[in-house]
Amino acid sequence: MMERNSKNIYSVGQINRYIKNMFAQDYMLRSVRVRGELSNVKYHGSGHIYFTLKDDTGCMNGVMFAGNRSGLGCVLKEGMQVIVNGNIDVYERDGKYQLYAKAIEEDGKGALYERFLAMKEQMEEMGMFAQVYKQPIPANAQCIGIVTAPTGAAVRDIIQIAKRRNPFVQLVLYPAIVQGKDAAASITAGIRALTAYGVDVMIVGRGGGSMEDLWAFNEPEVAQAIFDCPIPVISAVGHETDTTIADYVADLRAPTPSAAAELAVFEVRRLLDAMEVYKRKLDFVMDQNCRMMRMKRLGYQERLERLSPVRRVQDNRMRLTALEEHFSEAMEWKLVGVRHRMEILIEGYKAASPLNMLSHGYSYVENAEGKVVKAAEDVKEGDHLQIRLYKGQLETVVERIIK
Amino acid sequence: MAEQKETQLSIEEVFEQLDEMLMRLEAEEIPLEEAFLLYEKGMKLLKYCDSAIDKVEKKVLLLQENGETYEF
Repeated sequence: MMERNSKNIYSVGQINRYIKNMFAQDYMLRSVRVRGELSNVKYHGSGHIYFTLKDDTGCMNGVMFAGNRSGLGCVLKEGMQVIVNGNIDVYERDGKYQLYAKAIEEDGKGALYERFLAMKEQMEEMGMFAQVYKQPIPANAQCIGIVTAPTGAAVRDIIQIAKRRNPFVQLVLYPAIVQGKDAAASITAGIRALTAYGVDVMIVGRGGGSMEDLWAFNEPEVAQAIFDCPIPVISAVGHETDTTIADYVADLRAPTPSAAAELAVFEVRRLLDAMEVYKRKLDFVMDQNCRMMRMKRLGYQERLERLSPVRRVQDNRMRLTALEEHFSEAMEWKLVGVRHRMEILIEGYKAASPLNMLSHGYSYVENAEGKVVKAAEDVKEGDHLQIRLYKGQLETVVERIIK
Repeated sequence: MAEQKETQLSIEEVFEQLDEMLMRLEAEEIPLEEAFLLYEKGMKLLKYCDSAIDKVEKKVLLLQENGETYEF
């Protein structure tokens, strides 16, 4: 702190530096906006611009260095009303402070903005922005109208995105003038022309620009045309941060032309895919049903067959056949058995047969009366006896009897 | 091809009907006759949708003052 002390005598530079420090530490002066009138505007060869900013309360010097020129919204002219954004600093050498401009914009824009607000308020009160008047955007628009400039990124973006989402949609473009004094009339004509042509939905807009560039979309003429339009209108004016009256009146506001295309055009692929899914589901379910029915029928068929009288007759027939076979077999066995017994008996008889004995050398003797002689005492000497041999017979006479 | 009342249907309404039909078809107890009828109707609806979706690629039209158009 400076004191009235003759011992402390400072150089000019020191004082200047001190003051510069004071400025540097001041929070407000580091970023400040100042409104005033330009005078003594000098475009220096180096690229820097020097000027004086004044109003009826005072004046100050200012400079915009070449490096900050991008902050310039317009050409600086003598007498222009501007708002300068920058910092106040001290040029030490000269002991002077000045305004170092980072951005300069025309103050007239303030007036424009006031107009915009006034119009917006008026139309809002008239009810032109009311939700109840807003029409829904059709989900399956086949014919889409566009009011915009025929050249530039906006129309290209809209067309590209529309085609990508649905290549079969019909786009109808009304080439409009989108800035300048003829713009409002052109845009209005476009809206009316497309309404007469008959589109399903309309996109009205343009690419980015300054407030002046977009001004046509604030004009009451355009707002009225959009409000009266019986076809749903999507507004797409400028960038996301730009809002014009057209955006408020429209049935739907899109932040950009590309977004407008997305809102207006449905993705046909999703629709086709959904239909494909339905078809497959229908086929599948139908197939299931048929299969189930077939199985049921098969079940019934089997049950019926099992209970069928034909079956029973067949069953009985089979049993009969089986029984027959059994009988035959049994009979066979029986016969075989009987035959066997007979054979045994025959053998037995044969064995016991007197003829058999004869073959073994036995013979039987018959007397003259033909009676068989068993005992010697039954005959006398001289009797005629017949000896029956196995083969042939002998006529004999008894010689002697041995008792 | 499409019945008179169907020409008024939007694609969303058609889808709603299809959903309903599928639900009934998937029910176990539906008699076969009815199943066939539903299936047939479903196929008809899909066909109607298909023809309602325009499959022709279009050129952008430029609208002139006199109401005529030419390709952009």
